[in-house]
Amino acid sequence: MLLCKAKVLRVEKLAIDCFSLLLEEKNLATGSLPGHFLHIRVGEGPAPFLRRPFSIAGTSPGEGFLQIIFRLRGAGTRILSRACPGDMLDCLGPLGNGFRPRENCKISVLLGGGVGVAPLLFLARRLKEVRERVVLYYGVSRGLEKIPVQNFLPPGVEINLATEDGSGGFAGLVTDLHRSHLQRGLRPEEVFACGPRPMMQRVAGMYRDKKVDMQFSFEERMACGVGACHGCPIEIKVGDSDTVFKRVCRDGPVFNPYEVVW
Amino acid sequence: MIDLGTRLGPLKLKTPFMAASGTFGFGEEFASLMDLRDLGAIVINGLTLMPRKGNPPPRIVETPAGMLNAIGLQNPGLDVFLSRELPRLQKSQVKLIANIAGDTEEEYVILARELCTAGDVLIAIELNVSCPNVQRGGIFFGTTPSTLSSLVEKVRRVCTLPLIVKLTPNVTDITEIARAAEDGGADILSLVNTFQGMVIDTVSRRPFLGNKIGGLSGPAMRPLAVRLVYETYASVEIPLIGMGGIEALDDALQFFMAGAAAVAIGSASFSDPLTILRLTGELKNYLQRMNLPSLEGIIGVAHG
Repeated sequence: MLLCKAKVLRVEKLAIDCFSLLLEEKNLATGSLPGHFLHIRVGEGPAPFLRRPFSIAGTSPGEGFLQIIFRLRGAGTRILSRACPGDMLDCLGPLGNGFRPRENCKISVLLGGGVGVAPLLFLARRLKEVRERVVLYYGVSRGLEKIPVQNFLPPGVEINLATEDGSGGFAGLVTDLHRSHLQRGLRPEEVFACGPRPMMQRVAGMYRDKKVDMQFSFEERMACGVGACHGCPIEIKVGDSDTVFKRVCRDGPVFNPYEVVW
Repeated sequence: MIDLGTRLGPLKLKTPFMAASGTFGFGEEFASLMDLRDLGAIVINGLTLMPRKGNPPPRIVETPAGMLNAIGLQNPGLDVFLSRELPRLQKSQVKLIANIAGDTEEEYVILARELCTAGDVLIAIELNVSCPNVQRGGIFFGTTPSTLSSLVEKVRRVCTLPLIVKLTPNVTDITEIARAAEDGGADILSLVNTFQGMVIDTVSRRPFLGNKIGGLSGPAMRPLAVRLVYETYASVEIPLIGMGGIEALDDALQFFMAGAAAVAIGSASFSDPLTILRLTGELKNYLQRMNLPSLEGIIGVAHG
């Protein structure tokens, strides 16, 4: 974990209300793995008061670059969307436990909902180096929100798009698209997902009876980002009847969906 | 030679800057960013006798110049703390203060007794009688003078370490409560805990926090806290630890001048984990510039 200043190299609007930020910071770029996040101080002084967590969408360790993708949600992301090349951003990271791909595996499936696709782009790039097939499912509610994911991915990653408004790709939910592929014989050995909770819950339900390694990345409002304040709980099952609150920032953000209380 | 040390009755600290309970974990979460031995002390997250699950999410929400939290004292309980956390902390040579909360007087007494003999990494006990986010105990003990003095008296009998009582601002007259803690045998008072507040989610039309009510911290509460420290200083003899929205040296100086002999940094550590170290350096420069050999020269000076 580092507390450092990362230089803004480029701010790009990817879709409606959706931006990418290219940052330069050698140690962050080399230390970050898929599933890690940055906790960024978006303003000076008391507003906004708290840092904002963003999952890392990709790195170029050789050049010292790393990228985040975010959606406009409130005051913090608005300020961040107006960052200029040359600005120095106060970053705490890389934080959290990332995805842990299996040792031996041929087919990986990744499901991203909305801006939740960001950490999966990073993961897909790494997986492509060691997998026969990397199959990405990307769902958005409106075509206007669709980011050009192909620009962030190496050739060979299979991209399956679903739009709920029917403006591109499969018309409907990304989970329905994925289910139809499973019915046609797709047999992934591991599944990664990040997106709205209802979407992730549907994915988990689809695999309930199958022996497939599942790792989902969760989101919660955070204060410290390092596990000190217990402000970002996720309810996790313990044994048959008990549950505990774990910290999304420190114990996650990646969890086994079958341990999560939905 | 500038001396940053401060004396709070029986408790001597290397610097007057502490990390407030609930914002610095058990001290280790920030260890890779700084040498924790440079902090005056870390008041670790509130401990209870039995494990506490904590409140349902969401537990935090940002507010103008601050935040509400409703964690609900999530912690592993005394036994797990003693067996699993403390041995590791013992090696760190960091100055730790245990913050304890009970549902009953008996629980406070057991916690204090066990922790006082647990190891020399703990340098004081802070009684949490001010948590606004739990159903029982907590703030209940800190809002009625007779209840508080009775509790402090019982803990005092078993507490061999300096005893701090952390006060809530959610009372009509804090000086009355402060005197009750002093009468009960407190060595030091720390003030103030968070102010109770609420945010309503206008889309769901319900309180935003899982616990509905939370505690307000951050710069938004600073002038309220400075006033309470100022008034308490005039009402008791024992030393005070001030806190509430401190981010910059000037904020800390206000608390010192109002009468605090040390201050605690809380939610400012979330946006800048190095706040305490930065303030330590800035205080040293300030004392040099003012030709003051130590902090003592400015404590309580606002009272004229």
